[in-house]
Amino acid sequence: MKGEHSTMKTSTMSYKCKQFLMFAGVTTAVFVAVVIVPFIYGIYLTLTSWDGVSREKPFVGLANYGATFADGAYWQAMGRTFLYSVIAVILVNVVAFILAFLVTSGVKGQNFFRAGFFTPNLIGGIVLGYIWKFVFNRAFVALGNSFSIGPLSTSWLATTGGAMLCLIIVSVWQYAGYMMLIYVAGFMSVSEDVLEAARIDGCTNTQSIVYVSVPLMMSSFVQCLFLTVTRCFMVYDVNLSLTNGEPFNSSVMAAMHVYNQAFTYKNFGVGQAEALILFVVCAVVGVIQVYVGKKGEVSA
Amino acid sequence: MKKRLLAGALAAVMTASLTACGGSAADSGAGADSKGVSITIFNSKIEVQAQFEEMAKEYSEATGVGVEVYYSNDTVAAHLATKYSSNDPYTLSMVDAKDVYSLAEDHAIDMTGEKWIDNTNYALSVNGKVVGFPVCVEARGLIYNGEAIEKITGEPFNPDDYSTLDAFQGLLEKLAAGGMETPTGIMKEDWSLAGHFLSEVYETQDDVDGFISSLHAGTADLANNAKWNGKMDYFDTMMKYNYAANSAIAAEREVSEQKLAEGEIAFMFGGNWDWSMINAYEYSENMGIMPVPENTSDGSNKKLVGGGSKYFFIDSSENTSDEQRQAAKDFLNWLVFDQAGNSFLTEKCALVPAYSNIDAAGLDPLSVSVKSYADAGNLIDNYNYLPDDHFSLCGAAFQKYLAGQIDRAGLAAEIENYWSSTTPVEH
Amino acid sequence: MSANEKAARNKKINHGIKIIILILLFVCFIFPFVLVVINVFKTKADITSDPLAFVGAHGFTMANFPEAMKKMNFGRSFANSAIITVCSTVLTILFASMTAFVIVRNNWKACGALMGMMIASMVIPFQVLMIPMVSLYGGVLGILNHRATLIFMHVGFSLSMATFMFHGAIKTNVPVALEEAATIDGCTRWQTYWMIVFPLLKSTIATVAIIDAMGFWNDYLLPSLVLAKKELYTIPIATQVFYGTYSTDIGLVMAALLLAMLPILILYMLLQRYIVEGVTSGAVK
Repeated sequence: MKGEHSTMKTSTMSYKCKQFLMFAGVTTAVFVAVVIVPFIYGIYLTLTSWDGVSREKPFVGLANYGATFADGAYWQAMGRTFLYSVIAVILVNVVAFILAFLVTSGVKGQNFFRAGFFTPNLIGGIVLGYIWKFVFNRAFVALGNSFSIGPLSTSWLATTGGAMLCLIIVSVWQYAGYMMLIYVAGFMSVSEDVLEAARIDGCTNTQSIVYVSVPLMMSSFVQCLFLTVTRCFMVYDVNLSLTNGEPFNSSVMAAMHVYNQAFTYKNFGVGQAEALILFVVCAVVGVIQVYVGKKGEVSA
Repeated sequence: MKKRLLAGALAAVMTASLTACGGSAADSGAGADSKGVSITIFNSKIEVQAQFEEMAKEYSEATGVGVEVYYSNDTVAAHLATKYSSNDPYTLSMVDAKDVYSLAEDHAIDMTGEKWIDNTNYALSVNGKVVGFPVCVEARGLIYNGEAIEKITGEPFNPDDYSTLDAFQGLLEKLAAGGMETPTGIMKEDWSLAGHFLSEVYETQDDVDGFISSLHAGTADLANNAKWNGKMDYFDTMMKYNYAANSAIAAEREVSEQKLAEGEIAFMFGGNWDWSMINAYEYSENMGIMPVPENTSDGSNKKLVGGGSKYFFIDSSENTSDEQRQAAKDFLNWLVFDQAGNSFLTEKCALVPAYSNIDAAGLDPLSVSVKSYADAGNLIDNYNYLPDDHFSLCGAAFQKYLAGQIDRAGLAAEIENYWSSTTPVEH
Repeated sequence: MSANEKAARNKKINHGIKIIILILLFVCFIFPFVLVVINVFKTKADITSDPLAFVGAHGFTMANFPEAMKKMNFGRSFANSAIITVCSTVLTILFASMTAFVIVRNNWKACGALMGMMIASMVIPFQVLMIPMVSLYGGVLGILNHRATLIFMHVGFSLSMATFMFHGAIKTNVPVALEEAATIDGCTRWQTYWMIVFPLLKSTIATVAIIDAMGFWNDYLLPSLVLAKKELYTIPIATQVFYGTYSTDIGLVMAALLLAMLPILILYMLLQRYIVEGVTSGAVK
């Protein structure tokens, strides 16, 4: 649009307002009502020493933020979440991209495969954790014992590093199919003509993926990375149902710590403040990543 | 064509959302004008949810008072926090003792003077007012499978013979020699290790409050504390014979309960609530709960630890009408004084009654044990003022001990550390 | 052997390798799903003692289905879930795609601000909003316990991500030239959007639809806060009683899960076609 439509009409303020309201008015209103207003109220609650259930919400200023910075377990959980996120994000996207490539390469029965890779998404939260707990605690151990495979003979969930590994495996399994969907849409959006042209110019398959498809799919990458980064940073469901922070609270991720702080330990204000800091960290990581990604994006 | 389709779709959606509004509006209207009052009950004992729902139906038919029973998967504190924030509290909420202490002042009515108070030792009071109606009696101890033991020893099993650790160890050796190589199981859950077991160390002290204060002050010396060492000696014995010794920290509760029920193992620390899991398997009738064995002469090895468990309180806010509050009180009296209420508690839910006038027949084997200890006055009181993060943080330390990562001195140090850096719970 | 034949053979080998990799990955991915299917026909005791066995010691049982259906009041919960999911998904797609369009095509401050806020909002942990939300909508406005309120909130929470996805799609896949042509033909922006742009977004619409519908269908936390009345329960809330901290009735959970996942699987199969068709086929014609 920028300048192409240089008629008088498009530049007036009232035209802009009308257009914006027509297309984005409802969205803005609903978004503000559902997300922004409660969010602001939530910020206010971080300034109180409310316990979540009493009638009074005593104002305590920034004391909760002080408590947050002094809460060693919180920062440990943050560090752990960071490590987990970095590994999980990379693996999820690599696997998802490979899946998407394979199921768009014209293999027989690719629709069937797509549906299969998608099934993890159908199993939500608690059940997913229960099933995987069984796989790690018993199926693997049974295999390890009957074939005397050393590393499999005791449960991975029993060790600190093992629990982390299990969380990563389950996350990859859970999100790869989801992200595959977005990459598939990306692959489909690369026009056959362009690929045909590349082929005529003598590109091999690999070359056309690296030099033609990938640059054209930049927006898919940005979306997938953003989604996985934020999801991993805020991981809660799987954390709860698979490890519940065990062993010895060594797999408590940031969101779980926040939840415990607010509701289990009944320090609502501190929990809310810690959640807010988690938000700021996520936002900074996410925005940087989108910004960097957008730069590489190819406009049509 | 496209546009038309779209318009059609839009219209359909709008109609649907309108119907959605209309539908719920009609629903809520129907609830309000029905005969008499209706009350809501929050049940936090999931194992009796089905029984509660059935009871609600029957109670409504018999009395004309509408009763709806709700359950939430969320933690009780978080769930009630959302209900209070949205001005939509339950008329009656069933919670743990520690929740009563945090909720009562703002949200519970004073029930002083109610008739049932005379019939129980377990009513909860805050600031001199009775606010908590005890639902049942529960106790902790060592669950045994007598049938499995007798099969190996060939003689009748009497738990009273094994109140000392020496005798208990002798029995375990015998079982191991007789073919049950690993006769014990240990729950690795933090609420079991720290919430249920470690707290027995506090609860069996001569002066519980004094001991807790000394922990806070940092003057308590666990390493030289008789109760600590007694309980830990027992725990070490359990670890030695644990069926899941090589990955104790990954033992699944469902599996342990099944092994205990079916006699693959003979002992596990727990409480009478464990029956709701044991009864899913092919259990032995000859089971029960015995005190934790300990080489001591203070008599604590002849008692279980427990008392009232789960309390009802009635909402005091303006969202609940006086009629509803009266209906809630009537309901509590019905539980204690009506034949149908009694049979609901003891027969349908299989709970050990907290009221002297209620006869309990047909209880499960674990509850029978608990009741016999309770009736004989052999229950050591629960300590209800542990800080909210105690089970989680001390539980993590205990898990390290169970995994062999720290020794007894290390565990004692972590627990002492926890207490000295925690603010005391006022009571 | 001619070069052509060689190329054909290579292609075949390539194809074979791909299929083998796909099958291996496929097995990994559906293994847990298979476990659900196996165990749903077993009693609880058999599930605990050997979840891998095809048939438990107590034999094959169908008992989990009727019991789960009865306990969760399947018909009513299903209807609630369906109404809420369909309305929320359709509204989200309509509003999000419109918003994305105006944001992509205009360089206005308001657009940038809205997009920025939306992106940032996607990383707000739900715990931050939970209590404030019920305080406002329940405590102040008193409009909880309506399906419409939940639909409103679902839309509010999902608009950000949907807009974000449409934003990418419009930017990369919708040629400005097409819109300009429409404008020259006398279309207003509104008409241009619905007649030219929206139809081009098919594959993204299908993707967003399946992702959002799945999210709405499986969501537990938000509906449990908004719908506190039994007659309004959705499937996930109705099944919560099957699992708690201290006990899990895993047979019922699995039965409920199987019953609940079918609609989503069917929806996926249906939308699959659009995802596969892609944008390009429509755009060039």
